Amino acid sequence: MKSIVNRVTRLTRHETELINITEEVHQAVAASGVQSGTAFVLSLHTTTGLTVNEGLPDIEADIAEMLHHLASDEGSYHHGRFLASDGQMAVNATSHLRSALLGFQVFFPVEEGRLVLGGRQNIYLVELDGPQERTFVVQVLGE
Amino acid sequence: MIDIHTHPVMVRELVEKDRKLAAAVRDVFGLRFPSGPLELFYRELDEAGVDQAVLLPIDCTHAHGCAIVTNDQIARLVAETHRFIGFCSVDPHLPGAGGELERAVSELRLVGLKLDPALQRFNPSSRAHAFPLYERCLALDIPVMIHCGMSLAPGGASRFARPISLEPALEQFPDLKLIVPHLGWPYVEEALMLSVRYRNVYLDTSVLYAGAPKDTLRHLLLKRLGAHVVEAIAFRLLFGSNYPRVDIRRSVRAVRELEVGETVRENILGRNAARLLGMDDSRPETHAKEAE
Repeated sequence: MKSIVNRVTRLTRHETELINITEEVHQAVAASGVQSGTAFVLSLHTTTGLTVNEGLPDIEADIAEMLHHLASDEGSYHHGRFLASDGQMAVNATSHLRSALLGFQVFFPVEEGRLVLGGRQNIYLVELDGPQERTFVVQVLGE
Repeated sequence: MIDIHTHPVMVRELVEKDRKLAAAVRDVFGLRFPSGPLELFYRELDEAGVDQAVLLPIDCTHAHGCAIVTNDQIARLVAETHRFIGFCSVDPHLPGAGGELERAVSELRLVGLKLDPALQRFNPSSRAHAFPLYERCLALDIPVMIHCGMSLAPGGASRFARPISLEPALEQFPDLKLIVPHLGWPYVEEALMLSVRYRNVYLDTSVLYAGAPKDTLRHLLLKRLGAHVVEAIAFRLLFGSNYPRVDIRRSVRAVRELEVGETVRENILGRNAARLLGMDDSRPETHAKEAE
């Protein structure tokens, strides 16, 4: 069985931003040469999310607004203090909570060398504390 | 909008070429997270809606054997874009400090002086070390920002940085344009007293010690000091973030959400800094009754 790990890094632009990475995942699967197996997509961060939804700007806006509503900037949070380990003020509790709501991974089967994806399904890397430099991983496991 | 208080210490193009700087940022300044490309700094400014940022170095050669970004590095960054405004730093302990200040202003075109008594370990009212630099600042017509209050840097000693310790300098040099950053926290009343008493003392809003920026700023300015006091010194309040210790976006929102008049907010967010830095010679608009 092969395990092909592909890291993709990009700079995000906005504090909250849904970035459609479907094409990059397709390319990683094609480049892996795996015909039958599974493709895992994972974020390497704790203030991003990975999710799947329909590739429409209005849905993207609704998802962003829902996240801001559920983990509101007006709330009171424990995570608000000086973080001596990295020298920054930790003031991004909402970013972590929004990330927890979305999760950090998605996966799909690979069949005949192609990702098995529904016709309306798009894969999003969701920036929740941007702009930042972000890396997601596509691991393709299979034969 | 102008952010008067940023440190370009996590710019990858700088720290990857300069291992001594990378070590100083980690061990003396205390930032221990991955650097990012310069483009990320621009994007942070864009997302926050900030037009220009003042870049601050700290020369602590005597106390720590390093500079937290050199004057020449600041000048190179400023040369890249109109969005950066460069301050210089000199070490008051060094005999060549005055000459370096002259060079930084006349040759490198840097427009202010940054001193940090906590990191540089000097008395800001020392006649031997500090006063000659203030005289040069007056002659060069540039402001000086002197760190006040808590130092988050592991190499910093906050005991050197009480706002009240600046009073002898202000008595001697009442025309010196002095920026007290971080509202001097925790010595906020001392910082406020200086700004009330001395007409050329400015305070910057880069204060955060717990909670979110908006809660901290609202508490300090509106509850601890009071809206009427903010009104009284509103022409000398400057927006600052202390990026990258705190992100610029949330710092801007903290000012935007302050329950003060719109003119007061806009002056804090940019007009006061533009006037101080000689980028806007218009007379300040009145704030009268806005905060009520």
